[in-house]
Amino acid sequence: MSQDATTQDTPPHNTVMVNGRAYPVTDHAFDVIVVGAGGSGLRAVVGASEAGLRTACITKVFPTRSHTVAAQGGIAAALGNMGPDDWRWHMYDTVKGSDWLGDQDCIEYLCRNAPEAVYELEHWGVPFSRNDDGTILQRAFGGMTTEFGKGPVKRTCAAADRTGHAMLHTMYGQALRQSAEFFIEYFAIDLIMDDEGRCRGVIALNMSDGSIHRFRGHQTILATGGYGRAYFSCTSAHICTGDGNGMVLRAGLPLQDMEFVQFHPTGVYGAGVLITEGARGEGGFLRNSEGEKFMERYEPSAKDLASRDVVSRAITIEIREGRGHGPDKDYMHLHLDHLDPDMLAEKLPGITDLARIFGGVDLCKEPVPVIPTCHYNMGGIPTNMHGEVISPRDGDPDAIVPGLMALGEAACVSVHGANRLGSNSLIDLVVFGRAAAKRCAEIVGTDSAIPELPKGAGDEAIARLDRFRYADGSTPTAELRMDMQKTMQRDCAVFRTKDVLQKGIDGIKKVWDAAADIKVTDHSLIWNTDLIETLEFDNLISQSAVTVQGAHAREESRGAHAREDFPTRDDKDWMKHTLSYADYGTHMVKLDFRPVHTFTLSNDIAYIEPKERVY
Amino acid sequence: MATPLKRARGLGAAHAGTETFWRQRVTAIANIPLVIFLILSILCHIGASYAEVKAYLAQPIVAVLMLALIISSAIHIRIGLKEIIDDYVHSEGCKIVAIIATTFFAGIVGIASTLAILKIAIGS
Amino acid sequence: MVEFTLPKNSKVTKGKSWNPPAKDAEPDRWREYRLYRYDPDTGENPRVDTYWVDMNDCGPMVLDALIWIKNNIDATLTFRRSCREGVCGSCSMNVAGTNTLACTMHADDAKGAIAVYPLPHMPVVKDLVPDMTQFYAQHRAIEPWLKTDSPTPQKEWRQSREDREKLDGLYECILCACCSTACPSYWWNGDRYLGLAVLLQADRWIEDSHDERTGERLDDLEDPFRLYRCHTILNCTKACPKGLEPASAIASLKRKMVERV
Repeated sequence: MSQDATTQDTPPHNTVMVNGRAYPVTDHAFDVIVVGAGGSGLRAVVGASEAGLRTACITKVFPTRSHTVAAQGGIAAALGNMGPDDWRWHMYDTVKGSDWLGDQDCIEYLCRNAPEAVYELEHWGVPFSRNDDGTILQRAFGGMTTEFGKGPVKRTCAAADRTGHAMLHTMYGQALRQSAEFFIEYFAIDLIMDDEGRCRGVIALNMSDGSIHRFRGHQTILATGGYGRAYFSCTSAHICTGDGNGMVLRAGLPLQDMEFVQFHPTGVYGAGVLITEGARGEGGFLRNSEGEKFMERYEPSAKDLASRDVVSRAITIEIREGRGHGPDKDYMHLHLDHLDPDMLAEKLPGITDLARIFGGVDLCKEPVPVIPTCHYNMGGIPTNMHGEVISPRDGDPDAIVPGLMALGEAACVSVHGANRLGSNSLIDLVVFGRAAAKRCAEIVGTDSAIPELPKGAGDEAIARLDRFRYADGSTPTAELRMDMQKTMQRDCAVFRTKDVLQKGIDGIKKVWDAAADIKVTDHSLIWNTDLIETLEFDNLISQSAVTVQGAHAREESRGAHAREDFPTRDDKDWMKHTLSYADYGTHMVKLDFRPVHTFTLSNDIAYIEPKERVY
Repeated sequence: MATPLKRARGLGAAHAGTETFWRQRVTAIANIPLVIFLILSILCHIGASYAEVKAYLAQPIVAVLMLALIISSAIHIRIGLKEIIDDYVHSEGCKIVAIIATTFFAGIVGIASTLAILKIAIGS
Repeated sequence: MVEFTLPKNSKVTKGKSWNPPAKDAEPDRWREYRLYRYDPDTGENPRVDTYWVDMNDCGPMVLDALIWIKNNIDATLTFRRSCREGVCGSCSMNVAGTNTLACTMHADDAKGAIAVYPLPHMPVVKDLVPDMTQFYAQHRAIEPWLKTDSPTPQKEWRQSREDREKLDGLYECILCACCSTACPSYWWNGDRYLGLAVLLQADRWIEDSHDERTGERLDDLEDPFRLYRCHTILNCTKACPKGLEPASAIASLKRKMVERV
């Protein structure tokens, strides 16, 4: 696919020869380069463009195909449309949801700025559902409470159950309005880093004609999403391969808290597609094969609206103890059949379709078969609250990597800590997308010249591309990918133990080593999805390795990371972020740690001291 | 080398078409009773002599309805043919020739038919 | 003139039969797929290759089958896909004669061998991947963003539930282009006729109670080609995999056009 309307094709500036094959390279210069066009990427694109910065957005799929489009339930912000609410309560819930691993200064920034960010979306035309008085409708979501945990609150702003879709399309429109320059169906291969450790840009492959493009700029923003596809069964789109995370690891930079992988309690059994938590927020509940509403037993107060990690563990225990439904007793029933069909049609039309198409059930009449399904990666590229990427050095745990930013699910700010609350991801996208754009405007002068790239920048990435393009082993990418996904699903899922995780480490290492024998059949440069899937696999495998290694190391249970051999949280030894580095040569992972921020941003709220987490 | 947006915007909107659209609907609605009237008229006069038909057409009500049918159909035909040309004929030259030809055709047929009815109705 | 015959280089030839099942194979286990293939590198005419999918090892959707073929039989098969749950609009293609999303189409809903082609009358980049540039540019051309002149409120713009309801059936569009590319008018005049999806998007902003540039938007649509190429053929409504009715949106646009004359 060619670029957006504003771009003219330019002739290549030079040609790189690899193994006798010519790769024409075109250079581009921008103030800001955003990789990824999901919610956070587009928000940053809009913000940076508004600030007068020349902004490019490189994306491997057309913006509205990004995974944000699948977000259903809503976006959390303490607007108080349905009753009293306060950003401090939202902050408390988020801290508690994170099991105190989130950095509280960043969480304060998120929750304080959430209402403004939602109003901004509304002013751009996001078609939020409405109350009778014309204000934005808000619904209950898991873990969202009033007055620091007292009772449930309706805080999640919704556009029926298509909130992500509505946001993404609206923000794409705003980006068009700003005449931002899109490079659509360009696959970013690698970061361009200089000797001083500054990020200078990114190198990408134009999928439609196979040409190589080097983008250089003052700031490069990775908004490349999560890596759900490291798992066999996930709610994530096929494109969720965490390409930015992979690039960061290859650049020798760390990822943070990768062991925290959220399993959503209600993925449709078999298909893996998501049924929003909003379904339970609107009155749905889970039942085991004995007809028991078992969440009442696990969390008597919040019941089905306990945090996602809690509900997922409860379901897993129920299934393990033989109280699942179906011939293999391996799923639960989500009941919405007691609810008013008109309400379902108005507030949850999308999942009604999904349940029919993928679960084969009419949810107005029968329960939906559901199972915990890999959903969200709390971990990612460590950043501060301005989106700037962090890589500790010289004793500074918060040292930034100049020129590089990360946003959204790709980033780990960390506001979600060990477990993200439902509807906090969409707000994360827009609050930090906006923050990053503001930061760019502060540090990038609109008329400052963009320095030339060092000679040979990106040549290594082209060599890697060529190596994969002609990889002539005997194991197809699909086979390796399946081995990796099965290993992660088996050995790094909801409940974890040392032995199982060790098996996982060995298994992933084996797959990674076996990738030396990878086979790519399609050698074309035009829309070579065999090659793209191989590059994506290469990104996924390193993320799998750091995930399972991090999980093995963390000998405690916190949030989504549940160790059966270490069932309690250990604040003394483990109140810290895991940093993981992967060596693409040896396929080894190195871990390091970084302190959690135990302070807030302002005096408006005091640090929330850790306590036991019950709902 | 034009950008896709340049191509999509083309020469801009003509700010026209609604009149035509509306007129086509109005003439279509008018044509329904008028054509039924025409068919009935023909059916009632099968086997009738030239003089009988002529006398029938000379009645003021019949003449008015026939005139209405001719005008309405001519307009409808002109619009319909232009639609078809717009749909299928893409080279500018052919298109202009075709539109002129259909306009002349509809005009000539309309004027000739009108004159015929008038001659019968008013007599000369 | 309109092309009623395929250009020379578009004539589809018979391709390869990849993995015919053994004669004594279990009945109903193998499902036959006939897939349109076009290799831009050779520039040879497109062909239709035949594959058999093992239904014991493959999910129920047509997209599952395409992925199964790519993973197990032929890695060079090329198609777009992303969300696999019918919300992103990537995998729109012509399956068993109908434009639809491969990810939400049950293979069982088609009889016999399942023929899969790219969206009709779009330039083909490779296999099942059409070039959507023009479609996206047309979407851009209607300026799909909210336009207001009144001062922006501190909080949200108020909107009644009734006004919000007017957007239902419009805002859900996923830009998959199934409707536009099912429309003969779009095939014939896709360069000037905006097409169903884009007109539906235009109506989405016109219907929005916040948008204050309704007149301007209607002005920009009033054109014998941009809007009035719609001849209510209604292929669009049949094709929409989301159950939307682009034809109703266009009817609503035309009504407003007449109303303001």
